[in-house]
Amino acid sequence: MTPLKTAGKPTPRIDAIKRVTGAATYTADITAPGMLYARVLRSPYPHARIRKIDVSKAQALPGVKTILTYENCDIQWSTGDTRNKRLLFNNPARYAGDAVAAVAAVNRHVAEEAIRLIDVDYEQLPFVLEPEEALKDGAPEIQPGGNLSPNGRGQHEPDKYSRGNIADGFSAADHVLEDSYTTPHINNAQMEIRASMAEWQGDKLIVHASTQGIANCRTDIAKDMKIPPEKVEVICLYMGGGFGNKNQCHDFDLMAAELSRRAGAPVRVEFTRKEDYISVHGRWPTKQTYKIGVKNDGTLTAIQMTAFSGMGPYRKGQGDISGIEVYQCPNVERTTSMIYTNMAVSANFRAPAYPQGVFAIESLMDDAAHKLNMDPLEFRLKNFSRKFQDRTAYSSSGLEDCLRKGAEKFGWRALWRPAGSDSGVMRRGVGMGMGMFPSSLGRSAAIIQVDSKGIYHLHVGVTDCGTGAKTTMGLIAAEALGVPLDRVDVVWGDTDICPYSVGESGSRTTVQTGTAVIEAAKDIQKQIAEKGLPSGSDLLTASADTSPALRDFARYSFTAHFAEVEVDTETGHIRVTKYVAAHDSGRVVNPLTAESQVKGGATTGIGMALHEQLLYDKRTGLPLSAGYYHARVMTHLDAPEIEVLWVESEDAYGPFGAKTLGEPTIIPSVAAVANAFFNATGKRVRDLPITRDKVLRVLSEGALA
Amino acid sequence: MEGTGAGIVAAKVVPALKGQTAKQAKAPEAPLAGPALDPSVPHSTIKLTINGQEHRVEVEDRWTLVELLRDHLKLTGTKIGCDRGECGACTVLVNGESAYSCSQLAVWMDGKTVTTVEGLARNGKLDPLQEAFIEHDGPQCGYCTSGQLMSAKALLLKNPHPNRDEVRAGMTGNICRCSNYNHYVEAVLAASGTLAADARRRA
Repeated sequence: MTPLKTAGKPTPRIDAIKRVTGAATYTADITAPGMLYARVLRSPYPHARIRKIDVSKAQALPGVKTILTYENCDIQWSTGDTRNKRLLFNNPARYAGDAVAAVAAVNRHVAEEAIRLIDVDYEQLPFVLEPEEALKDGAPEIQPGGNLSPNGRGQHEPDKYSRGNIADGFSAADHVLEDSYTTPHINNAQMEIRASMAEWQGDKLIVHASTQGIANCRTDIAKDMKIPPEKVEVICLYMGGGFGNKNQCHDFDLMAAELSRRAGAPVRVEFTRKEDYISVHGRWPTKQTYKIGVKNDGTLTAIQMTAFSGMGPYRKGQGDISGIEVYQCPNVERTTSMIYTNMAVSANFRAPAYPQGVFAIESLMDDAAHKLNMDPLEFRLKNFSRKFQDRTAYSSSGLEDCLRKGAEKFGWRALWRPAGSDSGVMRRGVGMGMGMFPSSLGRSAAIIQVDSKGIYHLHVGVTDCGTGAKTTMGLIAAEALGVPLDRVDVVWGDTDICPYSVGESGSRTTVQTGTAVIEAAKDIQKQIAEKGLPSGSDLLTASADTSPALRDFARYSFTAHFAEVEVDTETGHIRVTKYVAAHDSGRVVNPLTAESQVKGGATTGIGMALHEQLLYDKRTGLPLSAGYYHARVMTHLDAPEIEVLWVESEDAYGPFGAKTLGEPTIIPSVAAVANAFFNATGKRVRDLPITRDKVLRVLSEGALA
Repeated sequence: MEGTGAGIVAAKVVPALKGQTAKQAKAPEAPLAGPALDPSVPHSTIKLTINGQEHRVEVEDRWTLVELLRDHLKLTGTKIGCDRGECGACTVLVNGESAYSCSQLAVWMDGKTVTTVEGLARNGKLDPLQEAFIEHDGPQCGYCTSGQLMSAKALLLKNPHPNRDEVRAGMTGNICRCSNYNHYVEAVLAASGTLAADARRRA
């Protein structure tokens, strides 16, 4: 791989000083003179029709300015549901936490008091939490047309994929294995509390949003507020994480805009942490059943999946389940049903479709290797995907190197023994998982202006949700321009001064916006060559709006993770004692921030494997574990040290060959930990998370037999 | 608002509140930012030192410390992550000990010394912890960072050369959802000069 001058070296973030001195201004840090505070009233029932809503007492409270309910506000939140008409306030309320009213008042205490003074007469309706229950005859209908959510063409059918002939595949197998797995709803739980501040200047709406994509956020707000996009300015200079739940615009942005319009004052909407957990969205819960066929020599002949994803009552997310594609296999059949339930809404969370699918398929593949007395590493080396869906060549693939070099760094050959070999109270075992994630090319834009001093002002529509995108864009520009990083002034986070960017979702910013940065850099260099640097206060401007397409190739990032766990067989506690994450994300633009991504993603996945779940009370339909403490997110004491290994495959596309990184980091981690537990104990937990009660239960099953 | 009947009412309603100084209340030194104090709500005048500067402020008795800092004194470096004592994003030092400022009432701060992230750098020079956080890429999204820094500061004030396990234990009340725990711990070890020793011990 050709060495680079500026990119490719560990580089501290360009905004790091602001991040460590408290000077970085996040959305809830921004105020305006006369700003009002808004709070939201939410349904206490999982499914209820509002017979009557009386706001008179709240309205009479001194300091209350504006109240919105379904009776006086019918604004649609388009990105909150891609299939049905979801309003800001819905009647009936379809989950515990559905917004019923919003109040803007002079301070947050008055707004909270006003919320308590709103009288709502609810008629409770039957509810359903489990996807399979929701499909049964007589289940409460959550959306018109039934609880099987329609596909993009409006047909109420499961999502299907197949290749080869599944029956032939099973006939050709020496062994057929079949099992079911469940994964729960898990909240994204980004640290930044949810806030949006809107103000109107004449007919122009300014929204200080906490968003992963200012350009999409602006378009979405304009659509739902029914005003032209150029009349909306979205600003997000610092962003406290999102992991997928701050894509597009959200209901709180629209509530802030409408409350501000009616009150004639700036309004900041704030959610509590509990509201964030129950009323935004989390990872979709799944039930997945797999059947695989395998020959005695370990060759896969068939993979069949039938799965259900619980979407909550609105179709905000895709609900698909990925993982199978990391295996080479001639006969594959996949059927996924996306189901409405009265649980919290499900949508994107870091690699939305992946870690839950990879957990399931990698558990079953591990069982297959065990049945054949094969080393799980050998089984994967035999069966990993060589071509996308056995058909399309990859633009580059470092998956084999991730497996081989990752295993070597981990010490797999020395550490691995057949499952259940360890004995005693504390048992150790090792496990692995592999995965892949799209690294598509696509549209994005960048503008570079150079001044008379030779400073390059790079305008990119990124917000930097924590990935280091500002610094990455600066490094790509510096490299392309052949100047040091301190000659590049990155301008970001404001739709009035930044061009379209794809938004920090799908881990696409480095590849897509980075490509536009390189194009703009080439253009400005050409202009400088022709005209020289501008003089005085003049600027030369180059803008690029690129939409490269990939022909004849599939472009993916690849990863393999290796974990060692220690299981306390008396308490059921699992501790991760060693961890290696190998990643092929092509060229690594900034190894310092990239390492942070990998360590963070892997650690979050360990929490998904061992702790996290939004639990529901089946009798009342109410969430029980909303919040950091009860959802049991990873802490300093839980987090193991993660060793990172880069496999930088040469890729002809993307900026200097860079591929996606942020999301792949969580994909195989859940599977690696689950498989390590199996290896340590010879027992399998198929329902996430692998909590102590489940550990003790599976350990006791054999003992009593 | 001055001198104030409401304050005396407050003293009767919440007699247990320490630092109730309504009777000798005078106008605060400077008007507070943010939503105006509601005179119908019990309130008190307190004296406290924040980042080396003395303040005499009139506060509603229901205000938390983080509300006073963020909304009324414009010290927004301290963040609210959960507002219920679970996440640590609002950690500050109170008399040199770490405290969740969402779980402390502002009136309890009478006579106390509070240090926030804005008070870490001295005379334009970053604290060694801040330098190490930058070098080791502690902050990803950066939202928990102020709290991580203040917990680390409290730890090093008590234990200037902690080992890795002591750092993890000392900071475990500070959640990072980007989960960059490894880098935060390395940064604290580096700032305390124990990173090299830690590497030797583990080699």
